[in-house]
Amino acid sequence: MGDRYSALAVVFGVVSFALGVLVLPAAGQHIQSADATATTVASPVAHTPWGDPDLQGIWDFRTITPLQRPDDLVDKTVFTPEEAAEYEAARVASLHKDQRVEDGLELETDVAYAYNHFWWDYGDTLVEDRRTSLIVDPPDGRIPPLTPAGQLREAQRREARSRPAHGPEDRSVWERCIVGGNAGPPITPSAYNNNVQLLQAPGVVVIFNEMIHDARVVPIDGSAHLPDDIRQWRGDPRGRWEGETLVVESTNFNGKTAFRGSGAGLRLEERFTRVGDDRLLYQFTIDDPTSFTKPWTAVIPMKATEGPIFEYACHEGNYGLVNLLAGARAQDAEVAALATREPQ
Amino acid sequence: MRIRSATDVPYDRWQIEDCTIRRMRVVVGLGISLLLMLTTVPVVAHHAFAAEFDANKPLSLTGTVTKMEWINPHAWIHVEVTREDGTVEQWMIEGGTPNTLFRRGITRDSLIPGTTIVIDGYQAKDGSFKANGRSLTLEGGEELFLGSSGTGAPRDGTDPVERRRPPG
Repeated sequence: MGDRYSALAVVFGVVSFALGVLVLPAAGQHIQSADATATTVASPVAHTPWGDPDLQGIWDFRTITPLQRPDDLVDKTVFTPEEAAEYEAARVASLHKDQRVEDGLELETDVAYAYNHFWWDYGDTLVEDRRTSLIVDPPDGRIPPLTPAGQLREAQRREARSRPAHGPEDRSVWERCIVGGNAGPPITPSAYNNNVQLLQAPGVVVIFNEMIHDARVVPIDGSAHLPDDIRQWRGDPRGRWEGETLVVESTNFNGKTAFRGSGAGLRLEERFTRVGDDRLLYQFTIDDPTSFTKPWTAVIPMKATEGPIFEYACHEGNYGLVNLLAGARAQDAEVAALATREPQ
Repeated sequence: MRIRSATDVPYDRWQIEDCTIRRMRVVVGLGISLLLMLTTVPVVAHHAFAAEFDANKPLSLTGTVTKMEWINPHAWIHVEVTREDGTVEQWMIEGGTPNTLFRRGITRDSLIPGTTIVIDGYQAKDGSFKANGRSLTLEGGEELFLGSSGTGAPRDGTDPVERRRPPG
């Protein structure tokens, strides 16, 4: 029993530390670095001419730290420096290696790779505090189980994706260039376009993601959320300041965006804290009792970058979806032809 | 071999595990995680390539670049292919996002019209002249847009784990 408790204590200790750096400082106070191993204190956070914490800039959130802790690292909350170096080297080698059928891949997997990893931009380092998952709560670093209702929705989505699409609605909103990818919301690292620009004006913040050229305009004016019957693709965001932290709460999702199984009942809280001249700490909490058995939280550090942010108007040349649907119709025709021949 | 989670370990067994065993589990677990990430199916592309291209239609084409479309979400390379019987086909080859190509130093001059390339990939499921650009090779054998282990630079053959596709 003691061993089990000590193991849990370690997990909670690390998570508490990770969350501890997010403790909201009073205005004017110094803020600790996001690096769990660091003890230095960052310089005071700059403010806009109208007095809000200045979060503006282009922020790079590339990392090879997985969102969820790998199954085999169940007891491992944070890598040692040596383990981190080993993981990074192996991960980078894996990402950059041009893997083929000759390397033991199944044909379907080879196709799924699409093309070699020259085209991708994952980054090559873990988050600076060497966590084994971006998720910090629950302490196991895993997304909590789906509720029965959530499981049913996911099963329906999987069914639609596993067969030739009847129409575009059977494919993901991401494939359809509506919303998605690492832009979320919430924002999560992915294979490319891992950049977000924050712009501020009095009473408003714009969260402009490179991925899918997506700009969320967040009012910070104390206004209430939209009426419950008005639903939006990216939800209805409302911002507020808690000390130096921007808190964005989004509700009124339309239920079609399904972040890791979320539904229309999602209440998303995002927190942006500038923890240094070149560091921004981003934290999000998924609270959706209709989909998940409990809320869950991830912490993603971002680094300042000069950019620029490139346009990614996904819809402009999305031939892929057309080809995908054409392929589905070709498969339908094959099945119909087969059915015609069978009676003979 | 899979490392059991803590909840899978019987209570009495958990009690007698010493620190050495737990350290071993972490090390072995790390190794297995690395192995798994080398072998699991990727979920990286903007859309499901396995739904767009046919695993049963691998191809190797030699053709001349006629145009490169720098469009989102994927760049497309247009290639004219002349078959042995003289038939000319206009193929479209799907690549990655232009943003990543820019950041890797690829420009509009990197693959100019008139360049002869060999494309290795899979044909579209509907049988049209479209394919994914699994790899691209210049006429002289120089491979384009390929990442070798660890560097992201074009494959240089120095990586011992690299395997070459047989010619033909």
